[in-house]
Amino acid sequence: MKQRLWQIFGPVLCAVLLVAGLLLAPLPLGRLSHGALRSAAVSMSPNVLAGERAKQQALALDYVPFFGSSELSRLDPFHPSALAAKYHRNYRPFLVGAAGTQSLTHFLSDQSMLTQLAHKKAVFIVSMQWFTKRGQNPQAFTFFYSPLQTITWLLQARNTVADRYAARRLLTMPACRDQQIKSALLTVAGGQPLSHLSRQLLTARLQMLRNEDGLFSRFAVTPNERRLARAEKLLPATATPAQLEALATAVGRANTRTNTLGIDDQFYRARLAGGRLAKLKGSQRHYDYRFGPEYSDFQLLLTQFARHDIDVQFVIPPINAKWAAYTGLSMPKYRQAVTKLRTQLRTQGFTRVLDLSEDGDQPYFMQDTIHIGWRGWLRMDRTVAPFLAGPRQPVHYRLDDRYFTKSWRQATVGG
Amino acid sequence: MDIQSTVNNILLDLTGEDFSTRGDENLFDTGLLDSMDTVQLLLELQDQLGISVPVSEFDRSEWETANKIVAKAASLA
Amino acid sequence: MPNLQPYADPQYFLILLVALVPLMVGLYHGHRLRLWETVVSLAFIVLMFTGHKWGEGLALLAYVAWQFLLVLGYARYRRAHNGTATFVAAVCASIAPLAVVKVTPAVAGHPSLLGFLGISYLTFKSVQVLMELRDGALKQVSAVDFGRFLLFLPTLSSGPIDRYRRFVADIAGAPAQADYVAMLGRAVHYLFLGFLYKFILGYAFGTLMLPKVAQAALVHAGPLGLSWGLVGYMYVYSMYLFFDFAGYSLFAVAISLVMGVDTPMNFKRPFAAGNIKEFWNRWHMTLSFWFRDFVFMRTTFFIMKHKLIRNRVRVSQVAYLINFLVMGFWHGVTWYYIVYGLFHAVAIIINDYWLRFKKKHRQQLPHNRWTQALAIFITFNVVCFSFLIFSGFLDKLWFCPPHR
Repeated sequence: MKQRLWQIFGPVLCAVLLVAGLLLAPLPLGRLSHGALRSAAVSMSPNVLAGERAKQQALALDYVPFFGSSELSRLDPFHPSALAAKYHRNYRPFLVGAAGTQSLTHFLSDQSMLTQLAHKKAVFIVSMQWFTKRGQNPQAFTFFYSPLQTITWLLQARNTVADRYAARRLLTMPACRDQQIKSALLTVAGGQPLSHLSRQLLTARLQMLRNEDGLFSRFAVTPNERRLARAEKLLPATATPAQLEALATAVGRANTRTNTLGIDDQFYRARLAGGRLAKLKGSQRHYDYRFGPEYSDFQLLLTQFARHDIDVQFVIPPINAKWAAYTGLSMPKYRQAVTKLRTQLRTQGFTRVLDLSEDGDQPYFMQDTIHIGWRGWLRMDRTVAPFLAGPRQPVHYRLDDRYFTKSWRQATVGG
Repeated sequence: MDIQSTVNNILLDLTGEDFSTRGDENLFDTGLLDSMDTVQLLLELQDQLGISVPVSEFDRSEWETANKIVAKAASLA
Repeated sequence: MPNLQPYADPQYFLILLVALVPLMVGLYHGHRLRLWETVVSLAFIVLMFTGHKWGEGLALLAYVAWQFLLVLGYARYRRAHNGTATFVAAVCASIAPLAVVKVTPAVAGHPSLLGFLGISYLTFKSVQVLMELRDGALKQVSAVDFGRFLLFLPTLSSGPIDRYRRFVADIAGAPAQADYVAMLGRAVHYLFLGFLYKFILGYAFGTLMLPKVAQAALVHAGPLGLSWGLVGYMYVYSMYLFFDFAGYSLFAVAISLVMGVDTPMNFKRPFAAGNIKEFWNRWHMTLSFWFRDFVFMRTTFFIMKHKLIRNRVRVSQVAYLINFLVMGFWHGVTWYYIVYGLFHAVAIIINDYWLRFKKKHRQQLPHNRWTQALAIFITFNVVCFSFLIFSGFLDKLWFCPPHR
């Protein structure tokens, strides 16, 4: 009978030991190939954003993170990734962001690359559409949520205004329901240090998640990569800025034939045609980007950039002016929101800000409603390319914790 | 008429097959009896033999062959 | 306080199995450690309802008290009397909490306060005991046994639905050592098959593929919402439903076996069924058998005994309709659950016509492995289509398309 028991439970025991070994041992996972990194850099998929291996290895090479959200997926010939590849720039963009990523998602996602990014440069496209009354969309947060990054952050969190605020914000997200993480977040939010045991358990969990990330994140050639390759082919081998401008205008014109709003035909067909557009008339009349938690969430990012001495070029993209007029978006309120954001940046020493918010009426600047494209990408490139080509300059950031306060979140700035 | 032949007659009616020599064949596995037939079987037993079998009592494994039905009916008679 | 949802993640199995070790050692040596079993069961039930689920925990307590009152009260009454009105009243009272829970969302638009995870499965157990008491198949019910039956931890939240007499026989003592070791062997097998089903295949279909086909179906919806994405959704959802639920059921059976109880299996290769009737003998078996024994058989028995309908074929058709409509309502008071029930009733009625036709023309109709394969293919597709109705996706597609 003992032998029979051994026959039943022996294999189970072996399986448990093997799995535990696989998950808890610090596995030497080797390097990703250049091809894999190239795919990861443009995939914008949750496994890249929520993981760490691809980001860390790419940033150790000549990749520069381009933070943003949905506009990053407008992969036309003038997209930063296409321009950098075609014209053999000294950098390659690593796209960090997708539809639904906002400051809080970026805050966690950054955790897995801050060490690599310290003392370097980055580009950050910040959309005013993030700054809604509610801030980070919880569903999108869940989609990109990474316990790996949360634990990485928890293990180095200190008793500062920023870290207490971050812990409080994360606790409001349904994704952070996990018992172990939740209790650690509560501890940090309360300004207490994590207990020795809790740190040990979190470290073990971190190792497990690292192995998972290393073993299971695969970066096959994505549709994005194929789209970019097609887009690159449309670019001439050499071109002056004026020639590129002319080409962008031509491509933009060719792709916006079906509507008078200057919106890409495919986008228009998929989202607005067939009577759907009419329903959206005046739909943004009550949109207001001036208040809400996003301002403090964004401050978390600024705090990180300052702590790690990162030189960041910010870009504020515009809204398609015809679209804004059609949907009744209040431009005065929009301008106030931009001013508020710029104040938050300027007063803390973040001086590299390319504010395009008034360029929404330029032809073929926007690819659709709120997403930059064609000539917009080129305009951005005129600032970003020299910034990334030049030598690294010292930065002088002066963080101000008042941006974590409710009074700032509710403040009105500008006329 | 005895229980044995009554049961065989009922089964002949229900399935169209003669079970007098196939007493151990499983009636449910071969699909010869379905739920409807079993209800009818219980009702016929009630009418012809005066045995009242509640539906709850009907555990398929105890009624799955002609012989088992006869034995069960005999025990309840 | 931590919260542990049954079979939700690998840790749950680890914690539960460690807690069950003393019970296993006892059973191996021929003793059932009742006290330990009770303590572990109650602890894990409490852990199911901690945190924001405390309301459900209270609902469970109230529910169990109510069912005890009804079942023990009826058992006592039944010793001397057998009034039909009392029986009907007891059954209605037993179903009442479930009915309230199912109807409230449809009427009030929010879940009922009486609801908790597993309420329908407890109701099946309770009603079953009442019916067997009525029939006299069950002479008496001990409060302790009834409690252990109702609150048996492995099957508390989602079945399989055991039968009282079978269960009580199992827990009366401990299995022989050789039998228990064989049970442990099956338990390990089922547990790992369950892991494959629920955590690998169910995950692949439900978490990886389902959102993609759902998105495709919503974006490319043609007239009536038809699209290839919708076809994909139908099959992917069906696979997800099977592997998720079959995996869950395997866990429940495996843990039961570890606790020395041979809970019946819930699935027997359902997609290999050659017709709808056979499908219901292979799919969610403990539920369909429950419905067969306590709804279908009783309905036909009643109709035939009182000669309400003479024609046997008609009787079965009426009974099928009632049976599957009740099942539909049991799933929830929404149009798609009810249509799902009706769909299966109609399918099984048509299937019966076909079977009768086949019986008559046995000589003319070919029967070989190709017709067998065709039968399985047709059944599979009919079933998948019914699951598409069941999924509620058509409701989303037709009546509340997402705004983009």
